[in-house]
Amino acid sequence: MSAPSLLDVTIDFSTSHLVFPTIVGTLLVLMGAVLAVARRHEIRAALAGGIGWPTDMDGLRFFGTLVLTAVYFLAMNEIGWRWPNRGFGFLSASMPFLFAMSVLYLHERSRRHLMLAAVVAVLAPLVAWLVLFRLFDVSLP
Amino acid sequence: MDVLALISPAFFGLVAAGTVIGIFFGAIPGLTATMAVAVCLPLTYSMGLGTGLAFLLGLYVGGISGGLVPAVLLNIPGTPSSIATTFDGYPMARRGEGERALKIGICASLFGGLFSLVVLYLFAPPLADFAIKFSFVEKFLIILLALTLLAALGSGMLTGLFSGVLGMFVSLVGVYDINNGGNGDIRLVPGFLETWLESGFSLLPVLIGVFGLTAVLIEAEHGVREDAATKKLLLASGKPFRLSVFRGQWVNLLRSSAIGTFVGLLPGIGGSAASILAYSQEKTFNRKEPDAFGKGAPSGIIASESANNGLTGGALIPLLSLGIPGDATTAILIGAFTLQGIQVGPLFIGDNPGVWQAIVIAMLFANLCMVLVMLFAIRPIARVVMVPKYLLLPIILMMCVVGAYTINSGVMFDVWTMLAFGVFGWLIYKLRLDMAPFVIGFILGPSAEVYFVKSLESFGTLTIFFTKSWIAMLLWVLILASVTASVAIARAGARRARMAAAAEA
Amino acid sequence: MNRRQFSVLGLIGGLAAAGFMPLSAGAQPLPDAIRMVIGSNAVSGDTYQNASIIAEALSAHLGIKVKVDAVGISEAFKAVGRDPRGTTVMFHHDQSYLSHLYGVRGFSDIFSAYKVGPVVSVNPGNAYLVPKQSPYQSVDDLLKAAADGTRIRVGIQAGGVSEIGYSALKNAARLAKPGSEANIVAVNSGSQADKNQQLFDGQVEVINGSVQANEQFTRLPDDDQKAMRFLWLTASREIIEEAPEAGFGQTSREQLLQYVTPAMRVTLDGQQDFVFDKDFFLLYNKDMPDEMVKAIDEALAAIYAKGDIQKTLKSSFFIPHFLPSQEAAAYLKTKDGNYRQVIEAIAAKN
Repeated sequence: MSAPSLLDVTIDFSTSHLVFPTIVGTLLVLMGAVLAVARRHEIRAALAGGIGWPTDMDGLRFFGTLVLTAVYFLAMNEIGWRWPNRGFGFLSASMPFLFAMSVLYLHERSRRHLMLAAVVAVLAPLVAWLVLFRLFDVSLP
Repeated sequence: MDVLALISPAFFGLVAAGTVIGIFFGAIPGLTATMAVAVCLPLTYSMGLGTGLAFLLGLYVGGISGGLVPAVLLNIPGTPSSIATTFDGYPMARRGEGERALKIGICASLFGGLFSLVVLYLFAPPLADFAIKFSFVEKFLIILLALTLLAALGSGMLTGLFSGVLGMFVSLVGVYDINNGGNGDIRLVPGFLETWLESGFSLLPVLIGVFGLTAVLIEAEHGVREDAATKKLLLASGKPFRLSVFRGQWVNLLRSSAIGTFVGLLPGIGGSAASILAYSQEKTFNRKEPDAFGKGAPSGIIASESANNGLTGGALIPLLSLGIPGDATTAILIGAFTLQGIQVGPLFIGDNPGVWQAIVIAMLFANLCMVLVMLFAIRPIARVVMVPKYLLLPIILMMCVVGAYTINSGVMFDVWTMLAFGVFGWLIYKLRLDMAPFVIGFILGPSAEVYFVKSLESFGTLTIFFTKSWIAMLLWVLILASVTASVAIARAGARRARMAAAAEA
Repeated sequence: MNRRQFSVLGLIGGLAAAGFMPLSAGAQPLPDAIRMVIGSNAVSGDTYQNASIIAEALSAHLGIKVKVDAVGISEAFKAVGRDPRGTTVMFHHDQSYLSHLYGVRGFSDIFSAYKVGPVVSVNPGNAYLVPKQSPYQSVDDLLKAAADGTRIRVGIQAGGVSEIGYSALKNAARLAKPGSEANIVAVNSGSQADKNQQLFDGQVEVINGSVQANEQFTRLPDDDQKAMRFLWLTASREIIEEAPEAGFGQTSREQLLQYVTPAMRVTLDGQQDFVFDKDFFLLYNKDMPDEMVKAIDEALAAIYAKGDIQKTLKSSFFIPHFLPSQEAAAYLKTKDGNYRQVIEAIAAKN
């Protein structure tokens, strides 16, 4: 047996879940610090200018997407809970979601476009549900 | 059982059917090759041995190959192993070379698939014996080698490294999984979130989030402008595809296919690592056009796609000669074998020469079907970019939900994970951090942890990483070479950028 | 709308109508679509395979839809824990209470937090293996070596079915020579691949494995680095006697019997032998109505009385073992008590 050296490490199984996160966490802090120094000019400029949203952002469509998506997930889960194991949560929440999203994204909401959006909003979830849930027996909410 | 008893017209028909369904699953963002095999497994219960296997192997090859389609056209990898395809495929599509990029990918896929099949057929047992020389130590070093890419892949060395380490950190959230050898204790989770985050973030929902949902959010931020004129341009206005693009790519093709096959051979490293490793090697050692990567270099697509199809044959080697799956998809194939009363293990090939030959024939035929189907289907498929965004984006979102929900057979938390990482991906983009290194860090983090910690648990000293075997030493040489080359590339890139800036000013 | 579009729409409409049709109209206490979650993520493992057999039989017998979902252990407990309506049931094995005994984070006592459903089958394959060239021919050799101060490393996965046999070995060592159990140590890893690899590397002397996954390795020539030998099967003799005569692969039932008690004994308390049968059973939400419990018990009793399911199970190397809910709960409670004893005995000494 050679003499114990600095490179010897003993890992106790009961605390082994902390070994790697500690190493990676330390690295992350170090790298973050270095990166912050390297980008100090940008950061200072950003702080001086105030942290604002990008001015050219389409706020309605961006936040609309986020809100609709969250509502969609909640609705899907809720309907799927009431009528379980049928994929109805997915099917019935997807149709209005798809339509609402299309309307949100449309710039020119003409009758033709809205009709097309409505048809797609009905057909796409239905086809996905039929093929995946009915045919391949994939679980859907 | 004799091979001729297993092969029939139905056998070939089912390979073809499997390939088509597999491509369909691979090509839809959110649905993966693994899912294709899993959902179709019950369909094979009533089939015979030969036909059942034929169908599943077709699904496997088709699923892995189909992933390149949305990677190129939509910048969303259809299946995790086609992540590296997005790096150069999407930029090519943006400048009107979508069809060309797809064809390059398909041909590279075919090459990788056939290469690995030849290796599988000729060398399966000796390679399995070689594979068991890779213990935790060597596997950790392979992952380290893949991680050396982080520095070279980002927009700058520092940014790339930071993003990668961040990805690893996020991947460690939750319990240290007992199924991987951990102790089941939780870490990096604040107490009040424990019930939610105990299983951590699953890979696929994270990937779907940062690629699929982030892409939708960026579009939304910019107002979802339809631009019909540029779309027409996008489809096929650029350079047409010529086979001559493969001239001078032999080294790349062979190296990447070999990397794919080799990674498949080692259980536990995982499919997505294959294409990333191949891509990084090609990027690091390509002397001709080091700057073109990430901006639409055909070599990048070739590396990624030949590697991920190279995986198919490679992953079957440990399955058929050790009874151990080489990746997630082949793990499901074990179930199929068991159902048919066939035991996989070190004696499989010797005990079942007929089945073995049938498998090789099915794989060969599946690769050929894949090329035929994809080449013919390319034009209609590529037209997906013509679908108006106000219709396409919501459908992509819906399919992302399906993919996230079904990956663990129906877990709603995975859907919320996808949303969280979609927003996170958008923030990364805003903070000018790099997505690719983040994802690579996230994918490789958990295996890096297990192999690193287990090595130390067994050997108790850090020196083991250098002294374990000649393989370990060889891997260190490769790691050092890779680091040196990527530093050199990053420096050269920075110098050119400075010169360009100076010239402008 | 042109004719082609019209016919496509018609086709989809027709399919949709077919899709919404109820699967059955029977008047029974059970919902007509049940989700059977399993405590494993693998759709290729023994749990999934076993659950599929049971789900299919129930589905055919009751005319309802029973779908198996491999959501993983913590999700499975959560899913069944929040659904008292019988639309979600869980299918799992002894890990569900063993992990609680071992104090693994996140496991509660199944006997108080859930309702125990029927036991349906046993996987008889839980095994401990050594390299073919290993000096240990029997468990006694192993215990003797430990008593003489040799360190014996056992490759297992922590906190469940894989660890219980290791704990039994430690307990037997303690009974043979108090203190010698410290020489039997666990090396924790995950998949079977990792455990095999540790044996090939010489990092452990013994691994936990299974007849199904390791049988071919035991048939390799002696000089192969991968060659292994069964040392001990934890199953009881009665269970192995139920196995098909041909055994598994090319290892016959006769050969398998050499590795179970009384041919290979691991003592529980100096008198009785330790046995562990990996039982598969259903777990319900604590508040699931009793008439549903009864309906599933009756359905399974009828299925087992018919006798076809036994053949299906045996052809996949599972041993049929049906106990209706009440008996199942008592049976598992006894097992829980026995193993608690073993785990506490060795924990007290450490």
